[in-house]
Amino acid sequence: MSAPIHECRVASLVPCVVAAVLLAACAREAAAPAKESAAVPPGVAYESHITAGGLTPPGGTLHNPHAGDAGVAKNGAQLFTTMNCDGCHGADAAGWVGPNLGDGRWHYGGSDAEVFSSIYYGRPKGMPAFGGALGAEGVWTLVTYLRSLTPPPDVPTESWQN
Amino acid sequence: MRSTHQVIATLFGVLAAATAWAAPADGDWTMPSRDYAATRYSPLTEITAQNARSLHPVWTFSTGVLGGHEGQPLVVGSTMYVVTPWPNVLYAFDLAREGYPLKWKYRPNVSGTAIGVACCDSVNRGAFYVDGKLIYNLLDGHTVAVDAASGRELWNTAIADVGSGETVTMAPLIVGDKVIVGASGGEFGIYGWVKALDLATGKIVWTARNIGPDVDMQVHADTFKPAYDHGADLGASSWGGDGWRTGGAPVWGFMSYDPQLDLFYYGTGNASPYNPEQRVGDDKWTASVMARRPADGTLVWAYQFTPHDNWDYDATGAMVLADLTVGGKTVKALVHFDKNGFAYTLDRATGRLLSAAPFTPVNWAHSVDLATGRPVLDPAKQTGLSHGNVKNICPSLEGGVSPSSPPAYSPRTHLFYSSTNNMCMDYAAARASHLKGTPFVGVNAPYSAGPGDYLGSFMAWDAVSGKKIWENKEPFPNWSGALVTAGDVAFYGTLDGWFKSVDAKTGKVLSKFKVGSGVVGNPMTYRGPDGRQYVAVYAGFGGDWALIAGDARSDDPADVRGPADPVKSIARHTSLGGIIWIFAL
Repeated sequence: MSAPIHECRVASLVPCVVAAVLLAACAREAAAPAKESAAVPPGVAYESHITAGGLTPPGGTLHNPHAGDAGVAKNGAQLFTTMNCDGCHGADAAGWVGPNLGDGRWHYGGSDAEVFSSIYYGRPKGMPAFGGALGAEGVWTLVTYLRSLTPPPDVPTESWQN
Repeated sequence: MRSTHQVIATLFGVLAAATAWAAPADGDWTMPSRDYAATRYSPLTEITAQNARSLHPVWTFSTGVLGGHEGQPLVVGSTMYVVTPWPNVLYAFDLAREGYPLKWKYRPNVSGTAIGVACCDSVNRGAFYVDGKLIYNLLDGHTVAVDAASGRELWNTAIADVGSGETVTMAPLIVGDKVIVGASGGEFGIYGWVKALDLATGKIVWTARNIGPDVDMQVHADTFKPAYDHGADLGASSWGGDGWRTGGAPVWGFMSYDPQLDLFYYGTGNASPYNPEQRVGDDKWTASVMARRPADGTLVWAYQFTPHDNWDYDATGAMVLADLTVGGKTVKALVHFDKNGFAYTLDRATGRLLSAAPFTPVNWAHSVDLATGRPVLDPAKQTGLSHGNVKNICPSLEGGVSPSSPPAYSPRTHLFYSSTNNMCMDYAAARASHLKGTPFVGVNAPYSAGPGDYLGSFMAWDAVSGKKIWENKEPFPNWSGALVTAGDVAFYGTLDGWFKSVDAKTGKVLSKFKVGSGVVGNPMTYRGPDGRQYVAVYAGFGGDWALIAGDARSDDPADVRGPADPVKSIARHTSLGGIIWIFAL
């Protein structure tokens, strides 16, 4: 038996607050059909999750309405500064007290939906939940910026021999 | 008529109070800076400049924690107490048994959220022992008291709000029945403060802001006598608006206390945000030294080292109290090595400046005017959004010395001993918006090497002449505290992981040992139960370096960074990891 997949989109041009309401509605919609449990969360699985018995639990999926949009990415770069993201993650998201977000390596997954979840709901060790302040539209704008960063080649070796 | 029990209880009360005021036994180290004057001077004499070459490690212990190990162990009688960085474990080692096994360990439940709210790693600067209790702060904004005999928690008080950007890394100061604490958060726009807790119960007795109107600051017109400033509500009127509400002035260094004057001293941190054009004026009392009464927090005087802080020059470094002979007269002095690169000597009764001289390359100011107490600025080094990217400001915002690296003073050599940094920076300010729970900074400030072929040093300083007596240059910024003893030996560690003993009179290196990780902690010394003198220090690279030198980390596969200027090779010499080391002859 495959897990039910529910998709919904948050409109890209609505104000943040409205977008947040829509997102909540989306979450309810995602959860509702799982009749056996009204409390199934709309959480987004990230890539390093393992599943007991190999069975993926039902959950929602999210799609970035701005994926690949260079103009939105540029706005996101501005938002990265005005929302003080650079205060922890450094200029150009290259890392400071918070991790480097441009190296192609991720704690909680690097897909648009996974990055959305990290920003919208926050993460342990001090990453604030920005969903309340930014709404879904603002968070998607940041996601679009971060996903536009081109990670350098992943070279796991640092050498001092020469 | 009183019962015998009441009389005995009263006597014990008097004895307990007397203990709290007494100097520690000569072989003990009961408070963070060893004494109230914050000298980090020990009267022990077994280790001398003649025999220190045979110092060698006799014991080590992994703390199991990777954060930067700032602070220092305490030794009381035959027990050593160690506080780790987050999660702030407290260990009690039995020095009377072979191998120093634990008597107990205390593991408080400290929120991990605080790690990312702390600006600069999950550090802790140590505990204070008094009357059978250990008092220290938890990163997530709590102060705890732990029974020294059993390790049992006696009280646990919430003092700070992580959700508002406050974390706590400083070591408390205890005077009589008051536990004095403060919060970090100069990068989060906090409304900086100190608070006093009751030693017996942990209840908050008073709160005094470091900025803001007089009523919040415990400033009273009849008792507040700063040497250079006059007027009401200076902590609010010097901001050109209400920026003081989010103006920073955190407290995260080491405090001192003069029992005769009944004043305690501490420094305040940077003004928030780092973009100075968002806060016009002196921004009092950021980047200042504060002299307060422990009983009720009354501010008696204050002196601002860096008015209108343009460069993140926190003044949270230790205020060392020493009686110095100036012009044939004994002066009750306060000596402070500031992040801004000047060493200051003040009259600690009045707050009047006696001398100020640079101890490391400085170019933001030419000098400090003794008549006005104000720095003579170089206008080309003023920063702010309208100035664009201001190049080559010295020292960098890491400071001419870190406030995490407290100095020492020897009454035998009459010299101060301190680490230094020799780095400069470019400073591109940006508009910062205040959003509770997020950083309030507004700058991009990359570092570069200062003039000369070194990045840091350990030096001996004459605070009367304002001159360096000797200096050992180091290849990396030097981030350890200093220790000096009556054997005329000084001790320090280096960022690349060497622990050194040097001749206090000449700086000649007497012994050195590679301790497994960079040293950002403070050496201390004690007499063991066997009567011998020991020296202890933490290894455990971190603090600001956990941020700057991301390539020195090995614990996070999801955060990989390249080498950083100007410490491109530091990761060749160290990684993270806390180790307690004990040395002896």
